[in-house]
Formats: sequence, C-alpha cells, structure tokens
Amino acid sequence: MVMENWGIKNKKGQLKIQQMAFMLIAVTFLFALVGIFFLAINLYNLQKTATGLEEDNALLLVSKLANSPEFSCGNSFGGSRSNCIDFEKLIVLQGMISKYQNFWGVAKIQIRKIYPEDETLCTSGNYPNCGIIKLLDKNVNSTAFTSNFVSLCRKDLSDNAIYDKCELAVLMVAGEDKG
Amino acid sequence: MLYQKIMEKRLSPSGNKMLNNKMKIFSFCNFTKKNKGALEISFGWLFALIAGATILFLAIYFGSRIIGTSDETISAETGKEITILLNPLETSFESAQTTSITIPLETRINNFCSYENPFGKQTLQLDQKRFNQWTETDTDVSSYNKYIFSEEQVEGKTFYLFSKPFDFPFKVANLIYLTSSDDVYCFTGAPNEIKEEISNLNQKNFIVENCTSESIKVCFNEENCEIEVDYSDGEVRKDRDILYFSDIEDSNALMYAAIFSDKEIYECQVKRLMLRLKQLALIYYDKEIIEKNSGCDEGIGTSLISLSNLADDFTDSSALEIIKINAEDIEIRNNAIRCSLW
Repeated sequence: MVMENWGIKNKKGQLKIQQMAFMLIAVTFLFALVGIFFLAINLYNLQKTATGLEEDNALLLVSKLANSPEFSCGNSFGGSRSNCIDFEKLIVLQGMISKYQNFWGVAKIQIRKIYPEDETLCTSGNYPNCGIIKLLDKNVNSTAFTSNFVSLCRKDLSDNAIYDKCELAVLMVAGEDKG
Repeated sequence: MLYQKIMEKRLSPSGNKMLNNKMKIFSFCNFTKKNKGALEISFGWLFALIAGATILFLAIYFGSRIIGTSDETISAETGKEITILLNPLETSFESAQTTSITIPLETRINNFCSYENPFGKQTLQLDQKRFNQWTETDTDVSSYNKYIFSEEQVEGKTFYLFSKPFDFPFKVANLIYLTSSDDVYCFTGAPNEIKEEISNLNQKNFIVENCTSESIKVCFNEENCEIEVDYSDGEVRKDRDILYFSDIEDSNALMYAAIFSDKEIYECQVKRLMLRLKQLALIYYDKEIIEKNSGCDEGIGTSLISLSNLADDFTDSSALEIIKINAEDIEIRNNAIRCSLW
C-alpha cells in the first residue's frame, strides 16, 4: 500500500513539474513574442524617422546645392548669379563622381534641362548636345525627388564670338529610403 | 530469493519506518518540523521563486537596455537634425549667415574630425542631461561636406551658428562656427571692419564693448587675454597653442575658425579644406580644357595643378601662407582672362 501511495505521489509530482515547465516555456515564449512585436514597432518607427530625415536633408540640400563650389557659376558668367549651375563643371564632376559618392549624403542627383527640352543623357562625348545629367545614382532605394529651378550655364561660340549661354533646368535630389 | 528477502524486510513494521524516513530525507526540501530554524518550502515554491527572479532580472535588464537604446536613438536623431539644419547655412554671395538651435535638454555637442581621403569626415556626437545626469552615447552622425569649427565639447541648450565662405582663391566651402550661448565672447581692439561684422551678426553671445569678468576675451594685438589675435602676422594664440590663419581678400574666415576652435579641430578641418581645394583645382583644370572648345584659350591650368599639389602636400596651418601666395597669383590671372573659370 505504501509503495503504491509513493508511486502515485511521485507521478503527481512529476506531472506538476511538467506543468510548471510547460507554463514557464509558454510564459517565456509569450514574453519573447511581445518583445519581438515591440522591437518590430520600434524598428519600423526608427526606419520611418530615418527616411523622414533623409527627405528633409534632400529638401534643404536642393535649395542650396546649386551654390556649392562644385556646381556654382561663381562670377564666370558675367557677375554674381545665385542658383546658377556651371554646365562645364558638371561634366567634369561626372567623370570624378566616385570621389563624391557619400559627399552630399543623398542617393541621387540629377539635372534636367526643361527649356529647350532634351531627353538625351549627357556624357563627356555628347556635351553640350544633351539634356539630362545623371550626376549621382547610388544603387539603393530612394525617396521621391525634390527639385529646384536653376539656370544651367556654359560658354558657347557663335560667329567666332564667345558668349554665355544659360538655359532653364531643374535640379533634382533624392535621399535614401531607409525603410 | 534475495529480492524476496529485501521486500519482506521493507514491508515489516521496522522496514516500513525505515522507508518513511528515507522518503522524508529524499523528498525535495520537505524538511521535518523537528528541524528547527529550517523553512518548509515545496518544490513548486522554490521553482516559482527562481523563475520569478529570472523573469524579473530579465525584465529589468531588457528595460534598461531599451532605455539605453532610446537615448542613443534620440542622440542620433538630434545629431542628424542639427547636421540637416546646417544645409541652409551654405552661402551664395552673402559674406556671412547666422542661425541658432535650441534643444529642449541640456546638451553636450562633441565635435570630431578626421581627414582621411577623399574629403575627411565631420562627426557630431551628442550627450544629453536627463535627471541631472549626463547620458553618454556612442552614436555618431557624420557628414562629409560640413566644416564645423568649435571647441571639442560645446555645452548648453542654445547654440549659435554662423557661417562664412572660404575662398582660396575660388570658393572652397562654407565654414560653420559653433558656439554655446553660455560662452560669451568679448572682442577688444578689433579692427573696425571686424567689429562691424560681429555687430551685424546680431549674435547674443558676441560683444564688442563692456566685457564682463565671465566673458572670454578675444584681444587683437593685445596681451593677457584668453584668446590673442595677431592680425598682421596671421596668428591666434590660446592655451599655449598657436593657430595660423591666412585669408584672401580679408574674408577672415580662417581667423574666426582659429578663434572658436581647439587646435586639433582647427588643424584637422583646415586639412579637410585643403583636400577639397585639391579636388576643386582639378575640376577647374578640366573645365579649362572643355572651355578651349568654345574658343577660350587662356592657360592657368599648370598653376592650378601646382595649387592642387601644394594642397595635397599640406601638413599644418603654418604652411597656409605658401599656398596663399600661389592662390593669390592664380586669382589675379583668373580675373584678367577672357573666360574666367570661377
């Protein structure tokens, strides 16, 4: 009789330990799930903030990029011009863009002539008979382009006279989409 | 047979007692009441206590980690926001621009600079004061096109920033000077054009008269001040350090840089400026080749190459004067040619 009781108690004890172990596993699993859910929300918000900051950067940069020394006309086209991009400098810059990959902290920089419109991509070979300069194009997901109107100027020759030729263009900048 | 004997012995009254005793001994933590001072804790309780303690420990550990991560995130976000807000400080034809940033919490901006190729790096790291304690973070925000001149650590809630273009001889970059509203700079004996410029900036922590005892005195051609400026020799002396400046056309961009920054930051940022100057000189050299197709034929290309080489060999600010002589010569020649390059 004693042996039987002992066996029953032992089995009950084992069952309780099993219950406890299962309970603990379930509780740990629940906590882990809640943790992962919380982390996922946090990560999503962080990515959203990072993308938002990239967009802000592109927005503020596009209004000032034309005045940075690599782009600006300076005084070379008859006096000081604001929001003026030197076409010749751009073509040179296109050839050495590998050094400027992370310089402005954006994913894409493009300049498009809008008048007269021309859909030809610019290279050092077809300059100045082209209309789109893809200056920087990182192979990453990017935000929508933000743009700013600029004048695109260069020296030209007509009847043996050198003159400044400026055309209407749009400077487009896109940040990296971190999402 | 042996087994039968053992079982018989166990089932006898004395054997039964022995078995009970054994059970008492081996039952998990089921101490007898006779054992004075010992607790009677069942396995379930012990297990619950250990599990509870583990869960509590993990909750506290992960809680503190999450708070730490959120501090890092806030620091990184604020650092990035500051870097983005510096974009509008890019000047076109203005001689200077000014702005201020106010952060809700007491903040320490740590300014780091490195000058590896191709353009070096500007890094900001922010520590913020929470519950009267500085929370130090390891998150850096870097940018490659900004040049911030400041002390290595600037502390406060409101920060003033002003920027000036640095031309050498063409525009190289915009220099940004960062100061805290807690640090008041008093400029004494400054030439009139500098006094006028400082007054026009309307920056509350810059004064040109009635210096207080707490203010940092910046003296021009005077001694016994925290910062001494030898304007004619192009030297700024502070804490036994000498920082050399050399500006073209009295722009004073590097002079302000030397006044507001530590020697390490100043030398590093000037080195970064020279890296950009080197690259820009090459861009203008190639631009001249393109312009030849449009009938422009003046040649300052070789001078640009030598300027680029000089900038490449730059070691410290004492070498600025040599590059300045070269840059001034190029500037004169560029102004004289038909198709000026900048």
